[in-house]
Amino acid sequence: MAVRKVLIANRGEIAVRIQRSCRDIGIETVAVYSDADRNALHVRYANQAFPLGGNTPAESYLRGDLIIQIAKQSGADAIHPGFGFLAENGKFANDVIAAGLQFIGPSASAMATMGDKLASRAAMIKAGVPVVPGSLEAVANADEARKQADEMGYPVMLKASAGGGGKGIRVVHAADEIESAFITASGEAQSAFGDGRMYIEKFIVKPRHIEIQILADRHGNVVHFGERECSIQRRHQKLIEEAPSVVIDQDTREAMGNAAVEAARAVNYESAGTVEFLWSGGKFYFLEMNTRIQVEHGITEEVYNVDLIAQMIKVASGEKVDHLAGRHPRGHAIEVRLNAEDPENNFMPSLGVVDNLRWPGGPGVRIDSGVYPSMEVTPYYDSMLAKLIAYGSDRQEARRRMLRMLQELHVGGVKTSAGIALNVLQSEEFIEGNYDTGFLERYMEEERHHDIGEEAPDDLEEIAAIVVAMHRQRAGKRRAASSGEGVVDSWVSAARREQHSRGN
Amino acid sequence: MKYFIESKSGRTFEVEVTELGGEAMSVTIDGREISADFIDVDGRGQYAAVLDWRSFAASIEETDEQHLAVNIAGESFMMTAFDERERAAQAVAGQGPPKAELIKASMPGLIISISVAVGDELSAEASVAVLEAMKMQNEVCCQGGGVVVEVLVAVGDNVDANQPLVRLAPPEES
Repeated sequence: MAVRKVLIANRGEIAVRIQRSCRDIGIETVAVYSDADRNALHVRYANQAFPLGGNTPAESYLRGDLIIQIAKQSGADAIHPGFGFLAENGKFANDVIAAGLQFIGPSASAMATMGDKLASRAAMIKAGVPVVPGSLEAVANADEARKQADEMGYPVMLKASAGGGGKGIRVVHAADEIESAFITASGEAQSAFGDGRMYIEKFIVKPRHIEIQILADRHGNVVHFGERECSIQRRHQKLIEEAPSVVIDQDTREAMGNAAVEAARAVNYESAGTVEFLWSGGKFYFLEMNTRIQVEHGITEEVYNVDLIAQMIKVASGEKVDHLAGRHPRGHAIEVRLNAEDPENNFMPSLGVVDNLRWPGGPGVRIDSGVYPSMEVTPYYDSMLAKLIAYGSDRQEARRRMLRMLQELHVGGVKTSAGIALNVLQSEEFIEGNYDTGFLERYMEEERHHDIGEEAPDDLEEIAAIVVAMHRQRAGKRRAASSGEGVVDSWVSAARREQHSRGN
Repeated sequence: MKYFIESKSGRTFEVEVTELGGEAMSVTIDGREISADFIDVDGRGQYAAVLDWRSFAASIEETDEQHLAVNIAGESFMMTAFDERERAAQAVAGQGPPKAELIKASMPGLIISISVAVGDELSAEASVAVLEAMKMQNEVCCQGGGVVVEVLVAVGDNVDANQPLVRLAPPEES
């Protein structure tokens, strides 16, 4: 049955992103929102909007039953979960279907298999997809772990079967470290996931994180849209992504693409999904499959000229994807995640009210964002403000356009990741495409991450000092002028002065 | 007025600004004079600056009058700026005794762990607690350090922004 109205069970940037595709293909949207998000763009851009109440995710965007009830009430015939919140919650997917609605995503059983590391490894081995060498089943105890690790050769990784977000993972470099690593990681997994099962993998040294975008319909067709290179990350939080990857040639792309298609087939996958691989020295190994649309899907859309969100909706309407097979990437796209965080303070989230927002524009610029001037960045939700995407006919053009975007951009009121991204994009390693998943952490330890980029004039710091002095001079003058009015904030008095000069 | 400006990188600048009437100013940096045309775009910290005919779009955010962040073309500079009078006052205040420190939560969140107890002596920028907010665990650190005299929260507490967490007495003089 064709989808006509979609409830978007999400907020912020991804909710706006989904709404945009819905508009493009003539589909109505229903927004849901927490109390904190009443003014949000995703509410204002929607055809209909319903309150969920509350502020925290548990009080709002995680209330699956209420969201399904609103979908029925609003006349929506499908629910798009976006990413995060309910996107990989199998029970929610089943409840949506049981309520007679379409769930725009994969089946609960595909989520369950891919959500468990051991189950997904077993499924991949069966499907002939290369996995990191390691144990096929959970290892019973530390002794057993040491026996297997001795055979495999160090370094090895101990991983929690239920793991995610870096919890329950230890790198073990020698036999005498394994017992304590096993006990602490298993305990961590038990408390975080209620499941302390552990397994062992060979530790891949200096890998790159390269993932394949796939799209599957319900008629058995699975297509892939090549790779995204996501190695510029820190503690599994990606900062910069690009497509295509400089290390992947057409043959490898086809080999990885076919492996990803087989991975999807192995779990009867439907909708958009991402198969993540570790790549090292020309070899690639299945890492995990993310059973949802991902943050960085936009760079794939740019180089493959496809709207993945629209395709997800079409798949949910029963359409086929086979006509999209066999495409090749054209040009190059780079994404920077604009997060409200302070790179100089261990990337701690930066809360505040967004002020003086100035977006870049011009050729090759795409901004996916839910931010607006005076928006409050609250502690309740993820700190991602926007995704900046630069497209160019080749990698150098895309990189230079992203530099331009970051130079034109200004976000006041909160600290952001823009400055550190600007530096990384000018590093020798990025320019040469010679980096791995450990690059960003190493870079942040080095003094040069403070350096002013080569694109900036040499004396920019001196210019900044002059600007500060002139600003203070002006502010002092304003304060003197407004001293008769009592204590007035300098911005307020400036605004007032402006009003007077306009003849109010 | 003369301003003494120090960047977080450690560089210092002496900038003298002279009003020439209206918007016009003359600027001297470290003894060198430059032409300056400095327009406040919207009264919200956005400036259009032309210095010796080089053009810059600058944004300024104040923590307070003396502590400012400048952003020009994507590059950010944290600056402290004192005018002549403030610098003189600061020189006098700097001779006083070291100050006690109250470590506060930088944002609302949940206290995951506390790594200090009353009587502990902390060096500068030592970690005191872990605060979870926005799905991230963040270390809370002291600034100057000192001796812990009071721990005001417990593990599992939900705290508000700026809620005091730990009180330090000045480090003991040895």
